[in-house]
Parts: sequence; C-alpha cells; structure tokens
Amino acid sequence: MRKWIDRIWSAAVVLLTALAVLALAFVIYFIVREALPTFREVPLRDFLFGSRWMPIDYTGSTSFGIFHFILGTLYVSALAMLLALAVSLGASLFLSCAVGARTRQILYPFIDLLAGIPSVVYGFVGLMVLVKLFLKAGVHTGSCVLAAAIVLAVMLLPYLVSSCSETMLKVKCRYEGAADALGIDRWHFAATVVLPASFRSILLSMILAIGRAMGETMAVMMVMGNANLFPTLLGKGETIASVIALEMGTAVAGSTHYHALYAAGLVLMLMLFLINSAIGLLRRRFLREEV
Amino acid sequence: MRIRSILARLWAWAGILLTIGMVLFLFGFVFWKGAGSISLEFVTTAPKGAVLGMEGGIWPAIAGSFCFTLTAVLLGGIPAVAAALYMVFYCRHKKLQSLIRAVIQCIAGIPSIVLGLFSYSFFVRDLGLGRCILSGGIALAVMILPFIEVRAEKAFRELPPQTIQSSYALGCARSYTIWHVVLPACRGELVSGVILGACYAMGATAPLIFTGAVAYASAPTSLLQPAMALPLHLYLLVAQGATSLGTAYGTAFVMMALILVSNLLATLFTGRSERHGSHPHPARRQRRL
Repeated sequence: MRKWIDRIWSAAVVLLTALAVLALAFVIYFIVREALPTFREVPLRDFLFGSRWMPIDYTGSTSFGIFHFILGTLYVSALAMLLALAVSLGASLFLSCAVGARTRQILYPFIDLLAGIPSVVYGFVGLMVLVKLFLKAGVHTGSCVLAAAIVLAVMLLPYLVSSCSETMLKVKCRYEGAADALGIDRWHFAATVVLPASFRSILLSMILAIGRAMGETMAVMMVMGNANLFPTLLGKGETIASVIALEMGTAVAGSTHYHALYAAGLVLMLMLFLINSAIGLLRRRFLREEV
Repeated sequence: MRIRSILARLWAWAGILLTIGMVLFLFGFVFWKGAGSISLEFVTTAPKGAVLGMEGGIWPAIAGSFCFTLTAVLLGGIPAVAAALYMVFYCRHKKLQSLIRAVIQCIAGIPSIVLGLFSYSFFVRDLGLGRCILSGGIALAVMILPFIEVRAEKAFRELPPQTIQSSYALGCARSYTIWHVVLPACRGELVSGVILGACYAMGATAPLIFTGAVAYASAPTSLLQPAMALPLHLYLLVAQGATSLGTAYGTAFVMMALILVSNLLATLFTGRSERHGSHPHPARRQRRL
C-alpha cells in the first residue's frame, strides 16, 4: 500500500514538472515561431538598424526599424543601473558593516517592500512627482529618458541591495577577525577591504536587476514620453517593451506589424540572454581567479 | 587614508537613508493622497460617472484582481513547487537538471509584456478562449512560476542533509519524507514565496492588457469572463487625465495597502521558520521524523 502511494506521488511530481517545463518550452517556441515571418518581409539588417517605424501605410509604405527602441531600452536600463548601483552599494555597505543582525532583520523586509510595489504605481507616482518636477525645471512636456531611468532605478534598488549586501556580508565575515586583530577602524576596513573585495561578485547581482530593467513595461512607458526618437538624456524615447504594449491592440493578427512586434520581443529576449551569458562568463572567470 | 573611511561612511549613510527614504516616501505619498478617496463605498461599489471611474468605487477591480491572482497562484504555484521538489529530490541526471534550469531561467528572463503577447495570440486568438480570467491568469502563472520555483528550490537545498538522510535511514519512503519532513520544515519559505509571487502577479499589468482585463466589467462569476484588474484600472484612470485623479489615488492606496499586508504576512512566515532553523526544538524535530 505504502509503496503504491509512494509511486503515485513520485509520478505526480514528475508529471507536474514535465508539464511545467514543456509548457514553458512551448512558450519560447511559440514566440520564436511567431517572430520569424517578419524576416521574410523585412531584412534583418533593416529591422535592427532601421530607424523608421511605420507599421501602418498612411504615407504609402510601411517600414519596420527598431533601432531607436533598442537604443532607448539600453540607454534607460544602463542609466537606471548606474543610479541604482550608486545608491545600493552605499546601502549595502551600511547594512553589512554598520549594523548588527537584529537591525538587518528589520531593514531587509522593509527595503523588500519596494519590490512588491506594482509597476503601475511606480509609473503613477513618477508621473505625478518626477514629471511635474522636470516640467518645472524647463524640460518640454516633462517626460524624458532621465525621469524613466530614475523611476526604474528605484525599482531596481531592492534587488541590488539584497544581493550586494549578501556578498559584502560574506566578505566581511571572512576578514573580520583579521581586521579586528590588527585593530583597523571599522569604516577603514569597509572602504579598503569589503568594498574592493566584493566588487567582482556584484556583477552577479546585476544579472537579476538588468532583466527586470529591460523588460519593465508600464512604469517606463508612463514617464518616458513614447516617441520614436534617438534617445537623449532629457528627450523623449521609447523602449521595445512599450512599443509592444502600445501597439499590440492595433496590430492585425497575422500582419507583418503583428509579427514585427513578436520579433521585437524576441530581440529583447536575445539581448537579455546575451547580457546574462556575458556576465555569467565574466563571473566564472573571476571566481576561478579568486580560487 | 582617513579620507577614504570618511567617504565610505558618508556613502553608506547616504545610500541607506535614500533607500529608506524612498520606501517611506512612496507609501507616504500614496497613502496621504489617497486617504481622501477611501471609504467603505469606494471599495464596495462599481465605478460610475460620465467618464468612467470619475465617481463610484472599485469593487469589481478588487474582485477581478483577486480572481486573476488566485488563478495564477494555483496554475503557477503548484507546478513550481513540484518542479523544485523534482530538481532537489528526484532528478539524478545532471544534464536534465541543467536543461530544466535553463528553460526556467529563460522564462524568468522573458519580459512580462511578451508573455502577455504570447497568451493573447495563443489562448485568446488561437484557442478561441477570448479575453477571460483564464487567459490572463495563465500569462501571470507563467510569469510567477520561475519566481516561486527559485525560492522553493533554495529552501529545499538549504535543509540540513542529515535531516533527510535520517528519514531515509529510518526506512521512510521518499513521498513520506517529503510530506512529513521536507514540506513542514520549509513551510515558512514556501508560504512566503507564494505570497510574494501572488503580490507580483497582482501588481502586474503588462500580461493582462490584452488577455483578460478590461476597462469595465461587473464582479466576475466565471473563469471564462473578462474582468477588471486593479493595476489596469489605475493605468486607465491615469491615462484619462485630471478628471479621475481622485479615484486613481484611491486605487493606488488600495493596492499599496494590499502589498503592505501581504509583505508583512510573508515576513512573519519566513521569520518564524528561520527561528526554527537556527534553534531547532529537540522535541519538535523528533516528532517530525
């Protein structure tokens, strides 16, 4: 009897896992399948490096070029990552070196609250506060790449803080005894040992965050202005994710426009994949050096 | 030398104060601005007004969001935990394991809007389900599956191996060990992982825009109906401009309050199981085995 229950249970676990993994694999397959027809009509080079995006032929000809969207995505994510990294390195330094375990136990869940806030709320608050500020400061219409990057940076904070401080804590535990024995000042220890030693592992923390940054749709869409322009710091821009969200409803199923949106999504996925594997590769090399 | 430590100190304080300030500011801003529009009527009635949402409440959106989230957690959470169990306790092939991990990581990397696009093309159009809670819920389920799987797998791997080996040594079957040793020991992490996954699903707009959420519907009665959802409702209210700002702040208030409560619950659950982990009560551990 027991044996049968065990068998049925094992079968259930295996079946559910297989189902989940197959379903996920199907999602990936489906996206690739829907994206490929684009390239029958639009050459890959024009798609990636063309800067005219005219999905509907008002002017007689359609054209699909997502160069500005790619640049917009990269620009916003990189800027947001820099801003967030600057703040979260400081915060992690504080969490790992300045306070005890008890304070950490309170502060971690508190900072994690940021991860739970829906992206629409970020966009909404960004629109109500940041965009108005930029408008007052003289930026035309207020929506700009910088505003989007700031909103996105706040969204990245919890991910970066939790993984950076975990790394720093490990480094600190490893060298704390030696530092104490030498009588080194705590902050001097933080500045000269903890920070440089954890710099490399922090690359890993960026993997999680960059995925979130590049795929973020709503918040960025609400404050970035959404215009197909070459992105500049105080000008409008548009990301790949926003294009998909804005145009999905109007694209006729099966049309080139529809397939092009899938292709844009595929490009976004591939960019993420490339960045992730590059960071993974670097990390592996660094880790080997450390050993 | 002195300057460096002062700089580090300044940086640390600036970083932590900015981070904490951001949390306080976001919650404070939304709660302060939204408090005016919150009333019992606001959370129990449907939106009204010449431009929809100018007056009235958001009850259908709350009910709809609840249905979407529940569908997503049921469809995404159970396979996620099963997959984590399989990865830790069943899978013996290294190759298969890394293949599964690659697929899950790949899905985790797909932007949520692309998942929405997938669900729209496949469920809404190809399978003819139409815009309904099920199509939207599946998109959300795919989105939170990796999220929950990663947390569950981490919890299972962090269990002390002696605990599991002792159970096997006593002749317990794998299923018995999982039910009576592994799952109770990881209950805290599992529950908090699911709660946080639910939060993530509840706050997501992008996968719902074209798959299940609509601008107006009554409170849902079946899975095959479209419904309203809180985040999309907020987005539409904001897009309408100044006339519906009051209700927009109110909607944001309700969402932030839900997030706050569920995060508190999640923290409570993990906190409790961490205590068990670090100081295992001897009597309790014996009973588990």
